[in-house]
Amino acid sequence: MRVNLNQWKTSVAILFVASICVAQSPTSFITTDIRRAGEKLACLCGACKNTVGTCQMLGCHYAAPAREKIAEMQKAGLDDEKVAAFFVKREGLKAFAVPPAEGFNALSWIMPPLALVMGLIGIAWWIRRSQKPVLANQLPDGSAERVRAELDKEMAKFE
Amino acid sequence: MENIGGLCLILAFCLGVYSVLASVIGAWKQRPFLLVSAQRAVYSVWVLVATASALLVYAIMTDDFSIQYVWAHSNKAMATIYKFTAWWGGQEGSLLFWSFILSSYTAVVVFTTRKKHEYRAMMPWITAVLMFTLVFFLMLVAFVEHPFRILAIGRAATPMDDGRGLDPLLQYWTMVIHPPFLYLGYVGFVVPFAFAMGSLITKQPGDGWIHTTRRWALITWAFQSTGILLGAGWAYAVLGWGGYWGWDPVENASLLPWITATSFLHSVMMQEKKGMMKVWNMVLVSTTFFLCIFGTFLTRSGIVSSVHAFAQSSLGNYFVVFLAVGIGATTWLILNRLPYLKSETQLESVVSRESSFLFNNLILLASCFAILWGTLFPVISEAVTGEKITVDAPYFNRVNIPIGLFLLFLTGVGPLIAWRRSSGDALKRAFLMPTVGAVIFMSVLVSLGIHHVYAVISFGLCFFVTATIGSEFWKGSRSIAAKDNVNLLRGAIELTHRNTRRYGGYIVHMGIVVMFIGFTGSAFNIDRTVEVKVGSTFKLGRYDLKVADMKGGENENYVWNHAIIEARSGNELVATLKPELRKYAVSGSQTSNVAIRRALNEDLYLNFAGMTADSKVILQSYVFPLVSFIWVGYWVLLIGTLICLVPSKIKLQYAKMEVVGIARQPQPVEN
Repeated sequence: MRVNLNQWKTSVAILFVASICVAQSPTSFITTDIRRAGEKLACLCGACKNTVGTCQMLGCHYAAPAREKIAEMQKAGLDDEKVAAFFVKREGLKAFAVPPAEGFNALSWIMPPLALVMGLIGIAWWIRRSQKPVLANQLPDGSAERVRAELDKEMAKFE
Repeated sequence: MENIGGLCLILAFCLGVYSVLASVIGAWKQRPFLLVSAQRAVYSVWVLVATASALLVYAIMTDDFSIQYVWAHSNKAMATIYKFTAWWGGQEGSLLFWSFILSSYTAVVVFTTRKKHEYRAMMPWITAVLMFTLVFFLMLVAFVEHPFRILAIGRAATPMDDGRGLDPLLQYWTMVIHPPFLYLGYVGFVVPFAFAMGSLITKQPGDGWIHTTRRWALITWAFQSTGILLGAGWAYAVLGWGGYWGWDPVENASLLPWITATSFLHSVMMQEKKGMMKVWNMVLVSTTFFLCIFGTFLTRSGIVSSVHAFAQSSLGNYFVVFLAVGIGATTWLILNRLPYLKSETQLESVVSRESSFLFNNLILLASCFAILWGTLFPVISEAVTGEKITVDAPYFNRVNIPIGLFLLFLTGVGPLIAWRRSSGDALKRAFLMPTVGAVIFMSVLVSLGIHHVYAVISFGLCFFVTATIGSEFWKGSRSIAAKDNVNLLRGAIELTHRNTRRYGGYIVHMGIVVMFIGFTGSAFNIDRTVEVKVGSTFKLGRYDLKVADMKGGENENYVWNHAIIEARSGNELVATLKPELRKYAVSGSQTSNVAIRRALNEDLYLNFAGMTADSKVILQSYVFPLVSFIWVGYWVLLIGTLICLVPSKIKLQYAKMEVVGIARQPQPVEN
């Protein structure tokens, strides 16, 4: 009985191994050149946010054939730009991993630093506004210095 | 059972509506009995939502496949713990889970503040805001995405023999606790928002609500941090490629409120200590809350494509309306109350702790904006140009790495600048040694052959921040040790206990530094995908990896097959790893169970990806340097956060340069 069960388990495991066999060797298309060209292109499988060059799913229905295509084009002597152009022609602009810095899509790159600059301007404005000497103007002569000295003395206790 | 569950939800919704109305009318017309009954309704709603949740969990545990939700997210073969997680594994159940956590938070808030006189005026409004939010979710769960829908053919209930089960990828231990922590974080941010709105409506600009909500915000922030890190840990250990952050829209959605909450936790100190930035804090609290709702919207609406998202549904429209009404009302309220939110003090110098908080806020929000912009840009671009584009991980890395490094720099600079103003001499004293040390450290790294620019800068900044924080502890501990005649460790503990917020905060910063070391390690990852026969060896970094054997078997949930890999460094056997492939019986889906040899300096990570037709094992092998620092950093961050929650031994009040004409007296505050 034990032998039969073991045989059965082995058969199941063999069947399982057979079911996970990859038809074509996926590692043939993981080379430095393919990865470099693939890093410009988005993996459009819908399950990851990687590029064709960095997608780690060996059987990925998008990245694996894309890598194969890149290999084919590189063999034909096409450079990375032409490879990318092929995919853009086939898939549209979404083939790029990042938005192209032209037209409306340039905003994707412009807005974050612009927001930072706007924030800096906002802080500069706020600092100028809040540094107006409200207290000093309303105190008798010399009192502001006296108060400030007193504050410095107090603060020294905490630092 | 499904009828009782449904009834509980409808009753909870009705009582929730009553609680909102009774709170508002009771506060408006000064009717104490209405206020009391509104609070009792809060407890009743909790009982009803808890009952509905318990019924759903019971149905899942007892394999009641007549309920559609149970059939879709559970099956008989699943382990008990994973059956329990099916409660939040689908759209309807997770909405119920949201409602349960929110009703629990609301009950806790009402219960813990029932005898606090300072909240008597604003409590009805706090209750109304909390319950209004809860009513929204109860409406969704009771009428739109009902978890107790039964499977039926015609009018006859038709139970199925077995369910479809939870996604195998989710059957991993961190996935048991990742969603609850994330939800505790998401939902918890409703509480500070409710207090903020309560103070605005009742025109109480005082610091009382700030003290209470800071504690809530800190606890919630810790939950959110834990949730995010558990998710990262899950992705690292389960997905098979060692990534812990993929810039997926739903991942980003969890990070956005965490960033604004971090910003709030810093800027709220300005309000506590100096009475400044009251408007800004209102904006931050509100933004955090709405980003939580927005994140939920992103996850459930299908507006962006994500592997984490629930199935596309009509929920998006409800969220849009809720967000529009909420943001509109909050904006109006803040603008209307501007006269009550004036600063009590003025900024005395640009070179001051106050300014460093401003820059910290700016950088955090810039990062938040960049992530939000990148997440939404595909939708915006398609709406404007009509053409789809992709914004993948390289965009987020390119935009956020410089921002993150600058933030790391501020983490070291901010704490060393004095409140009010710092003199040139003080700055020189504080920064000279850490800066020189960091420059020397970076030079050493370059001379050792590390030429990755960001990595060198990041390690240098980590050194700089560690030195500044270390010097703070060193100076304070040494002084206490000398004065009280104790050793340095006792001195450090006493120092921390005297001012838990300050030194706890430093420890949180240290946690961030340790995590940055882990992030930076990714610049030196090594990966190799190979096809090897059993008995063969291949090289990866300093390791020789030999496929020693293959084994297979099965249990009632899945069939498995693993490769036995011996990892040697030199002649020493450092580990025997067993990466595994599984095929699940019910769903038929196949998953990899990676094998990891964890060490502080680097992880060796193996993924059994499949077999070739000529019986070779396909192995994806990786070396991830320093990745363990991310998990260690999280624990440091958590310990620091917990220390911040401990009351300080000594309470201090900071001197303020008050603005004439602001009526209220500043109250004594901690630190």
